[in-house]
Amino acid sequence: MYGWIWRHLPGPSPVRALIALALVLGVVYVLFQFVFPWAEPLLPFGNVTVDQGGGG
Amino acid sequence: MGKAIRGGRGRGRVATALGLMGELLITLGLVLALFVGYSLWWTDVVAEAAAGRQGDRLRQTWSAPAAAPGDQAPAPEYEAGDGVGFLHVPAFEKSDQTILIRMGTSTEVLNEGVAGVYEEPYRSAMPWDAEGNFALAAHRDGHGAKFHDLDRLGEGDTVVVETRDAWYVYRVAGTLQQTSKYNVGVVAPVPEGSPFTGPGKYLTLTSCTPVYTSRYRMAVWAQLVRIDAMDTHRTPPPEIR
Repeated sequence: MYGWIWRHLPGPSPVRALIALALVLGVVYVLFQFVFPWAEPLLPFGNVTVDQGGGG
Repeated sequence: MGKAIRGGRGRGRVATALGLMGELLITLGLVLALFVGYSLWWTDVVAEAAAGRQGDRLRQTWSAPAAAPGDQAPAPEYEAGDGVGFLHVPAFEKSDQTILIRMGTSTEVLNEGVAGVYEEPYRSAMPWDAEGNFALAAHRDGHGAKFHDLDRLGEGDTVVVETRDAWYVYRVAGTLQQTSKYNVGVVAPVPEGSPFTGPGKYLTLTSCTPVYTSRYRMAVWAQLVRIDAMDTHRTPPPEIR
């Protein structure tokens, strides 16, 4: 998978490395900005209130 | 020869499939590691920034009435999300000793690095009310982790609530290290399981326990011992100086 992506990136190796870095940063951004905030309430790690069984 | 090539291709396909699976598993591991970093570090960064902004804004709104000393406005009515004041806990780590207090315990409020005032299942009494329980919740980890050190509080420790008009000095009277998350009695006007037996002016702090989980809740109960009037310099009481 990563080999395939690497082979399909244009340009010489340094350029490919830069594009690859940009792709990685883009993925991390999407994860932190959208995926993790969405997933977090679904996981039972952040509830701090006492309640009658609803989400907290 | 032909057989050898076919066999080679077969091995190649299997190797490719295994390689792809390996890469996917490595990727999954990296994503999970990133999620841990997100939960324990990035949400703190975001929450601290939000709480800092809102705390500054609250202090700005306070500076207006302070310009006209002697003008005692009635205690304001607060809506969900409003800033109420600051909680000062000398027993906590330095960065968590001053905590913004806002109305409500919704995820949106708590995730912004604050202590939230319970409105459900019991509507908390405010510190200036004649009697009742001022009950607060905050995150133990992530999102500011303002109550990370809640287990450090013990009997006799001081907790101070700062509002626009006064300093409310509370002394811890009892703690509950672990209870069910459905035990709403701990935030009742006279908290169940606390050393308190009759109505009074109480403060309750709740968070989850043990750290890094949400399996149980813990509670710290304190009783009001003194109210210091706010002077124009907002001089803090000696306990938190």
